[in-house]
Amino acid sequence: MNFEEMRTQFAILKDQLKKQEIVSDHLLRATMKSKRGSINSTKRSCYIAVAIALMMTPLNFYTHAWSLAFSIVTCLMLIFCAVATYFIHKPVDNLNFMRDDFATVARVMAKFKKQYNQWLYYVSPAILIPWITWACYEFAWKHAPEGVNPLWMCIPLIVGAVIGGAIGLYYHFKAVNAAQDIIDQIEEK
Amino acid sequence: MKQEEYFTQLVREHKSTIYTVCYMFSQDEEEVNDLFQETLINMWKGIDSFREESKISTWIYRVALNTCLLQERKKKRQVAKVPLTMDVNFFEDDDANAAQVRMLHQRIGKLGLVDRALVMMWLEGMSYDEIGSVMGFSAQNVGVKLFRIKESLKKVKE
Repeated sequence: MNFEEMRTQFAILKDQLKKQEIVSDHLLRATMKSKRGSINSTKRSCYIAVAIALMMTPLNFYTHAWSLAFSIVTCLMLIFCAVATYFIHKPVDNLNFMRDDFATVARVMAKFKKQYNQWLYYVSPAILIPWITWACYEFAWKHAPEGVNPLWMCIPLIVGAVIGGAIGLYYHFKAVNAAQDIIDQIEEK
Repeated sequence: MKQEEYFTQLVREHKSTIYTVCYMFSQDEEEVNDLFQETLINMWKGIDSFREESKISTWIYRVALNTCLLQERKKKRQVAKVPLTMDVNFFEDDDANAAQVRMLHQRIGKLGLVDRALVMMWLEGMSYDEIGSVMGFSAQNVGVKLFRIKESLKKVKE
């Protein structure tokens, strides 16, 4: 196999394509209907989650299920997570199809993956362990009826935390694996 | 000239280049269609920045290659799929030309993504500087890589 043979075959391909219309008016119209700018679904999801949490906070003043301090800290934590997600995703969302070369794409993906892993191994435990402990205290110890061991009341919270953690891990590894796939393709590992 | 007219003219002039890139990164006709349309959408989104570019071929290759590379990330199609207007199917047709093109597809398909992109741009007749600007390599690095690819291809049995 050599380059000269490939060159001949490439010329045949080009010659064949020259005879083809390929692009119809319908295709061009459909293309030009597409909106400009990328839609960032991750950012939007975060904003929606934070907005819902913030809207639910006033309800607590009526139900008194959680203390005011806990509600405020929870809202601040969600806002912090949303802002962090925005900044971690920003370079990837800003990848420019018109400007960026393969080396740049690989660099951005590697940084994205590193930050995602740092978030999983350091930031998430630092935030979630104290928050879940506090939530257990708020929910179980403060509201446990007499004669009921508060630890039993923690079970629903722990089950919820495990389910939430599993969903979080699923999305984490989905994002990290997608970034790794792109890095692998570029670096041909 | 209106932007729509300009885009239409641009696409019609360079349709074979766009198709070639999409074809070399696809496994079937449907995938070519998807990538082709996705590339056009990305070109349309960036048509303003294109006006500032000096080399059309470099810009088109950059958009098409990035689209092929990042296709998995952008699975949501923003417009309905529209089939390409083609009388030939390089994946299935039996004539001699299609067979030659298919052989080229198989040969290039054996290469990794970066090598595939390098070889395609070299076959397109782009300079090492132009190839380097798309890939993020120096022209010298492009030359070295192409030499290595040539040497490795000589060892590959058909």
